[in-house]
Formats: sequence, C-alpha cells, structure tokens
Amino acid sequence: MQWTKKRKQTITLLAFVFPALLFYAVFMLAPAFGGIGYSLTDWNGLNPTYHWVGFANYTEALTDDPYFIKSIWFTLRFVAFMVVLQNALALLLAVFVESRGRSKVWFRTIFFMPNMISMIIGGFMWLFIFTKVLSYIAEHSGFGFLDQSWIGDPDFSFYAIIIVSLWGGVGFLMVIYIAAIQGVPQPLKEAAAIDGANTFQTFRNITLPMIYPALTIGIFLTLNSSFKAFDAVYALTGGGPGRATQVIALNIFEEAFSFNSRYGYASAKAMILFLIVFLITIVQLRFMKNREVEA
Amino acid sequence: MSNPGTRAGERQLGRRVGSAFVFVILLIGAIFTLFPIYMGLLNSLKTEGNMLSNILSFPSRLEFGNYADAFEKTDFMRSLGNTLTVAAVGLAGIILFASMAGYKMSRTPGRVSGFLFGLFVLSMLIPFHSIMITLVKIAKELTVQGSTIGLGLMYIGLGVPMAIFLYHGFVKSIPRDLDEAAVVDGCGEIRLFFVVIFPLLLPVTATIAILNLLWMWNDFLFPLLMLTDSDSYTLLLSTNMLFGEYNNDWSAILASLVMAMLPVIVLYIVLQKYILNGIADGAIKG
Repeated sequence: MQWTKKRKQTITLLAFVFPALLFYAVFMLAPAFGGIGYSLTDWNGLNPTYHWVGFANYTEALTDDPYFIKSIWFTLRFVAFMVVLQNALALLLAVFVESRGRSKVWFRTIFFMPNMISMIIGGFMWLFIFTKVLSYIAEHSGFGFLDQSWIGDPDFSFYAIIIVSLWGGVGFLMVIYIAAIQGVPQPLKEAAAIDGANTFQTFRNITLPMIYPALTIGIFLTLNSSFKAFDAVYALTGGGPGRATQVIALNIFEEAFSFNSRYGYASAKAMILFLIVFLITIVQLRFMKNREVEA
Repeated sequence: MSNPGTRAGERQLGRRVGSAFVFVILLIGAIFTLFPIYMGLLNSLKTEGNMLSNILSFPSRLEFGNYADAFEKTDFMRSLGNTLTVAAVGLAGIILFASMAGYKMSRTPGRVSGFLFGLFVLSMLIPFHSIMITLVKIAKELTVQGSTIGLGLMYIGLGVPMAIFLYHGFVKSIPRDLDEAAVVDGCGEIRLFFVVIFPLLLPVTATIAILNLLWMWNDFLFPLLMLTDSDSYTLLLSTNMLFGEYNNDWSAILASLVMAMLPVIVLYIVLQKYILNGIADGAIKG
C-alpha cells in the first residue's frame, strides 16, 4: 500500500516534469554534453566525418592561437573594469537615489531604462554618438578632447566598449542594490545617527555590511555577464580594428561561423570559456559567502 | 565656536550642500543615460543634410521620411510578426511547462525530485556560447533551424531552468492544505493544478513572463544563428541587416533603431512598477 502510493507519486512527478525535461534535455543538456564530446574531435563544417583528436584542440587554443589568447586577456581586462566600475557606480546611484524624496522614482526609471533596450540597438546608437556626435561637439565647442578615434583606435575603443556596457548594465544592479538598501532595518540607522555617526560613517559601518549579500549577487552577475559580453562589442567595433577588441565570445563565434567552420576546435574554446567563468564565479561565491554577516 | 546654535546651523547647511551635490550627480547621470536615446530620436527626424550640419539642434522641420524608409527596408510588419511569434511560442511553453514541473517538484519529497531539480539548476551556469555550436547542429537535424516557431521551441529548453527555479521557490508559500482539500473533494491532479494552483502562481508568473519576454525580445545571437532566411528575421536581425547594408545612411538607421526599441520603452513606461519589482525579485532569488 505504502509502496504503491509512493510509486504513484513518482509517476505523477515524472508526468508533470516530462514536457519541461524534454525541451531542456534536447536543447540544453544534449548540446552541452555534445559540445564536450565534439571539443575532442576535428569536426568541421565541410567534412561529414570526424576523428578523435584528444586534447589537441585545447592545447592548440591555449598555446598556438595568439588571437584567442589575446581575446582572453582582453576579456579579463574588460571584466576587471566592469566588476569594479559597474558595482561602484550602481551602489553610488542606489544610495543617492534612495536619499531623494519625490524625484526618486524619476531617477530610478531613467537609470534602469537602458536595460529594456537590446545592447545591439544601444550599441548602434552609441556608435552614432562616438562617430558623429562627439566629433561635431568637439568641432563646435571647446571640448576638443572629445574628438578621438573612439572606434578606430583600440586604445579608445576599449573605453568605448566599457562606457556602453556600463550604460546598459548599471541600472540593473542599481535596482538590486536599492532593494537591498530598503531592507536595512531603519532602527539600526537611527541608532547610529543618535550615536553621532555621520552619513558616510552610517553607510560604511551599517548599510554596507548589511547589504553584503546583495554585493555578492551583484558581483556574481557582473562576472557572469561580462565574461559573456558579445552584443555591445559586436555592434560597436565588431571586434576590430583587425581583431584588437575581440572578446572570447566573439572569437568563438568567428571561429565557428565566420572564418573556417572548425566546429570541434571552436567547441574546445567554448569549453575553455565555460571553465573560466565557472572557476572564477565559484571562487568569488565561496570567498564572499564566507564574509557575509548575520543581521 | 562653542555656540550650539551655529553648529546646528552649520550642520544643516552642510546637509543642504550635500543634498545639492547628490542631485547634481544624479542629474549628470540621467543626462548621460538619456543622451544616446535622445540623440537617436532627434536625428531620426532630420534629413541627412540637416543632421550633418546641425547634429545637436532640434529639427527645423519634422521629417518622417526616414521612418517610411526604415519601415520598408526592415520589412517592419513582418519582422515584428516574427519577433512576436518567437516570443509567444517561447513564453507559452516556458510558463506552462515550468509551472507544472516547478510545482510538482516542490511538492514531492524524495531523491528523484531532488535530482531532477538539481539537473535543471545545473545549467544556469552554462554560458550560451558554450552550447551554441552543437545546438546549431541539433537544430538542423531536427529541422527547427530557420523557422520562428522552431526558435520559440528552442527558447523553451533554454528558458525553463530559471522559471522552474522561481516557481519551485514560490510554491512553498502556498499552503499544502489547499492541495489536500481539493483531493478530498475528488479533484484530479490535473484539475487541481490548473484550476486551483495555477491561478495562485500569478505574481511569480508575471515576473517570469516579463523577464523572459525581455530576454527573447532583446536576444540577438541566438536568432542570428538560427534564422538564416531574411523572411524569418526578427526586428533586431532586420535592423542589423539594414545597418550592414546602408551603414552610412544614419538617419534611416536611427529611425529603424527607434522603431525597434519603441515597443519595449512603451511597455516599460506602462508597466515599470511591475518590471522593476520583477527584476529585483528575479535577480535576488535567481
């Protein structure tokens, strides 16, 4: 009796889960595990047969592919800038917006707006700003320094990519930080004020430790999205000039779908990307979870 | 110096200066945020010549020709229809299948249930770029590549994990007594779910609908890989194509950019309270 009831329960469970599992298995699990398999072969788009090559693709990607290695360094630099700037700006805006009265809603609405827009659209609009508007402003005003080769010169296009990515991403984190700040118990802040703490001290010693869990999430989300950055770079520079601003995702995309259809080799690069993101986010979560305080 | 009145006065002055400083910073931030959108909108209403000679000024005469031009070149109605088809198929599947799975896994104790849930959560760390190559191959074999409905079906597979995660958590807040009472009343499993449970999931369903709609509407790389024929292009793909073909005709491009983002901006302004809450909920629980 007990056994049959349990069995019936399991069957109902499977029936409810089956449709989701089917789509998930076919379009997510199969390509994920298939990708691991193909990364060990010389599969390409031109030849229907392929052979096992072991870890040759991985060795080639990490030792013999200067563009890929360069794209890893470029991405790491981009991620480092984004983690610091995006979280600092989002936190600053969250604190400032929360301190406003009636204008709070307006600022929140405006700062979040770019998140509604695809980074492809946003990237093209910024391309217009960088290539047309800034040079116009420089020509017709004193701000001569604005007239740079923002897109054509890799030194500047790195910052162009950072600016556009911040524009698109800060508002999202700001909303998360605002929610966290609103969760800080008011009596704690009042107690600090009575003890003579100024605004900055209250923030440093009360608010910041209390919203530490949100900081963990914010940095996790930034790491995750910056390592996968694609749209903004694609729209702004297309990875150029040459391949100077190529991020890892763009390098994989070109390897597989633009240049030579080396699917097996590109799969190995895709696995390397996965491993980098996985390891760094695990380390980050471990490190930051350990430092969270109890309220 | 030791007069308490002056000190209080000083502090109040300091607070006011601080408040003004904060306001100025926020204002600069807001201008920076809106600047590209404003410039895009402004210059999409000028002729090319008018734009180049005076890029910052308000158009002397509103020029809607660019919109007519972009409307035609991007085949706007068809692109919009394609985007809506993809999003509708994906959204319907994600909500229906994820709510069923999330509810039942949340209600069933035991190892099977835990294993299945873990299996879904596992994938939330896998970047899309790591599966895309093999996914293209699978899509070709299943002949879902190249069709908008096929793309919508694939979005179901990619979208259910996060939706299941959110449903799984939300179901815990619905009392079990409800299920039991319904079963005592002779209600079957399927009716129980659709008639009693599903309506109660509405708040989290709204969050999931918003998050997924935005994702599918703004996603670029996945459609780029899957929709190879320009007849099935989504709005973003048509805009991208227009950019590639006429990359110096900025006024037409800007008009197409404005048209592609207008639907989401309108949606945002109408539903912003729900969207902002949904984002915060989704991110913190996800």
